[in-house]
Amino acid sequence: MIKIERVSVTYPGGVEALRNVDIEIDDGEFVVIVGLSGAGKSTLLRVLNGLVPATSGSILVDGTEVVNANSQTLRQVRSKTGMIFQTFNLVNRTTVLNNVLMGRLASVPSWRSTLGLWPSEDKEAAMLALERVGIIDKTYVRASNLSGGQQQRVGIARALAQEPSLMLADEPVAALDPVTSRQVMGDLQKINRELGITTLVNLHFLDLAKEYGKRLIGLRDGVLVYDGDISDVNDETFREIYGRAITSEDLHAMNEEPQQSIGNGK
Amino acid sequence: METLSDTSTPAKRPPAPKTIHRWFIAIPFLIAIVWSLIGLNITLSRLLDAPGDAWSILRQMVPPAFDEVYERGAVGKIFESVYIAWIGTIIGAFASLPLAFLAAHNVAPIWIRSPIRQLFNAIRAVPELILAVILIPITGLGAWAGTLAIGLHSIGTLGKWACESIEDIDEGPIEATRACGGKWVSGMRWGVLPQVMPVISSYWLFRFEINVRASAVLGMIGAGGVGSELVSQLSFRNFPAASAVLIMTMAVVLTIDTISAAVRRRIIKGAVTTDEDSRTLAAITDLTGIRS
Amino acid sequence: MNDHTNTSERPVKPKPRARSFFIALVLLALTFWAAIKVSFDISTFWEVWTNPIWSMFWPIPWDWVFTKENTFDPLIETLQIAITSTLVGCLLALPISFAMSSLTTPNKVIYFISKTVMNLVRAVPDLFWAKLLVTAIGIGAFAGAWSLTIFSLAVMVKLFSETVDAADPRPLEAARSSGARHLPAVKAGVLPTVFPSYVAYSLYIFELNIRASVVLGLVGAGGVGRVIETQRQFFRFDRILGLLIIIFGIVWVIEQISVSLRKRLV
Repeated sequence: MIKIERVSVTYPGGVEALRNVDIEIDDGEFVVIVGLSGAGKSTLLRVLNGLVPATSGSILVDGTEVVNANSQTLRQVRSKTGMIFQTFNLVNRTTVLNNVLMGRLASVPSWRSTLGLWPSEDKEAAMLALERVGIIDKTYVRASNLSGGQQQRVGIARALAQEPSLMLADEPVAALDPVTSRQVMGDLQKINRELGITTLVNLHFLDLAKEYGKRLIGLRDGVLVYDGDISDVNDETFREIYGRAITSEDLHAMNEEPQQSIGNGK
Repeated sequence: METLSDTSTPAKRPPAPKTIHRWFIAIPFLIAIVWSLIGLNITLSRLLDAPGDAWSILRQMVPPAFDEVYERGAVGKIFESVYIAWIGTIIGAFASLPLAFLAAHNVAPIWIRSPIRQLFNAIRAVPELILAVILIPITGLGAWAGTLAIGLHSIGTLGKWACESIEDIDEGPIEATRACGGKWVSGMRWGVLPQVMPVISSYWLFRFEINVRASAVLGMIGAGGVGSELVSQLSFRNFPAASAVLIMTMAVVLTIDTISAAVRRRIIKGAVTTDEDSRTLAAITDLTGIRS
Repeated sequence: MNDHTNTSERPVKPKPRARSFFIALVLLALTFWAAIKVSFDISTFWEVWTNPIWSMFWPIPWDWVFTKENTFDPLIETLQIAITSTLVGCLLALPISFAMSSLTTPNKVIYFISKTVMNLVRAVPDLFWAKLLVTAIGIGAFAGAWSLTIFSLAVMVKLFSETVDAADPRPLEAARSSGARHLPAVKAGVLPTVFPSYVAYSLYIFELNIRASVVLGLVGAGGVGRVIETQRQFFRFDRILGLLIIIFGIVWVIEQISVSLRKRLV
């Protein structure tokens, strides 16, 4: 259960990424977050696991206060929070298995992970995660040899290996083609339903949001402008979120090149 | 293409790859290391003694005897090292520039550039110290031997770097001078030179920084500079004086490094920083890594 | 078309700034001053070629050169010194480089200390350290090994910390987001990417160490350099030339091996 209360984030340069956002999310929900680039989507996700410090407000993740928490608390929260990135953030030079094992870093002693002596139950957890996303056959393949969709699956497997209670996906499909995007979104949805992991997904394109989302959160310039059921979204809502009328290009991911923004200021 | 696999037909887990080939690489290395350690007589007792010896020397080096060293004219010697490096770099720079042009493949034909490139490589391979050893019987002991040694060696390194910059350029301006009827030399002067001068002059400054250290060392064999001072202090085991020399050398080298880095930055950027404070700040940041 | 009665003002050629002129003048004066102080002697340039000293380089006494005690044993010692100092210097340089890089440093204090210390170490020429160590420890291979260790450390730290600075920060972000502590996160997220460069630099430093051993002899630090120094004092340049040819031959061979190994790594 996530409780975000009057949270604001101002970056050192003065950019106000989030302003007084209030959101409550129950366990097991599947939430899609949409908005323009720079609206605050990435910031919202990163403030939940402390990668970005909140300037003010309170965030409770399963009862633990994240704002101004010390590093040990943050690590605990992060170990229960899986994160998936737009650019996959894999270690290209090493195997898929080593990448997924990164998800187990928090649960083994430092000396073991530094020397590469993983206990068997952690290796097993990694293998199970790989089986769940369906790329177990690529276990020992070098990560850079995989396609984009496969790499994102490794990213998902890495997050799953943490045995998380919360999954944060920051534009997971922005770098993928439309067909692969749907597969990945399908995987995320299935994980949410079968394992009951609370899932928050940042998306660019409304059609994917409509297909896979249930609850929609719209951000604009750091302000929460919509929070409700996705089927209630109409043109008016769209104008609120994006500041202009809807066009066909917004609906269909088919026509556009994947966005390559590495969200630093969001 | 599969989505999540249904567990009714689980995919087989691939076998773990063999790691035996890693041992083929590791074992020769380990053997070489053990052989070296044994060969050098590196026993545990010697290893444990070494820090003890070093520590006692360190204690004797504090406090540094600045006044004693000052009286012996060490400051003048340090300046001598800087002069040696300065003139040596200038010799190297001016001699290497035309040669670098002749060594570039987009400028000179192969029968000119190949011997010059080999010349550069040959000079670079000889350390300044050896050059100085050879030159001392010719020029006599003193600063000039050191200067020549540094100058000649710099021709090699600066020549190679300059040649690489020249080969990296955009051909457009050369073409333009040719198109309006200019001679080959004009092409070089107006087409190539403006492009490469910022990079090459920053190389010159960088080489100067290195040469200051080299010239300090050359003093150790009598080719001028502060090295001779260090050697004589150490031969008398006068550690406070030696540490004074070391610290003074450090200070001068760091100052030159900082100024040179600031100038190099300015050359490359081409920007005019009139703000005295921001330049100082940049210098301190380079030195200590503190970013404020 | 062209109205030759120019109504617009022609721009005035910008005057060269008085300040740059002044700086150039000062530099020129300093150069002349320095030239006088180093006894700039232009006649040397052609005197050099006609000096009788060149006759001392020839003929090369190959029978003297190809003996066990004059060449073979010292070369073995040089090799051993190079191997040991490369090993120890590069090993020590690994954590120091990570401490010195803003990407991977654990905290600001360590960053500041390591950067300052390394800058100070590098401000002193390597041979000064060598001479100091020889005085402290005594003449011989042991001192030579320690000197080259410091040399290897300095070079590796310079090269490697720049590589780490330029490394892809994203896998590190992924490792941190899974709750890992600092050291395991760096080991899993950064090390695999920069490790090939590390090995390549080590091979390069090994080459440098063999070349440096020639020069180290001048401070009495053992190996082939000691032989060269002894012969120098007897002005036996012919023997020195023979030794140098052998050494540079070996350096060349090692360089070829090293270059091909380095190509494999990338």
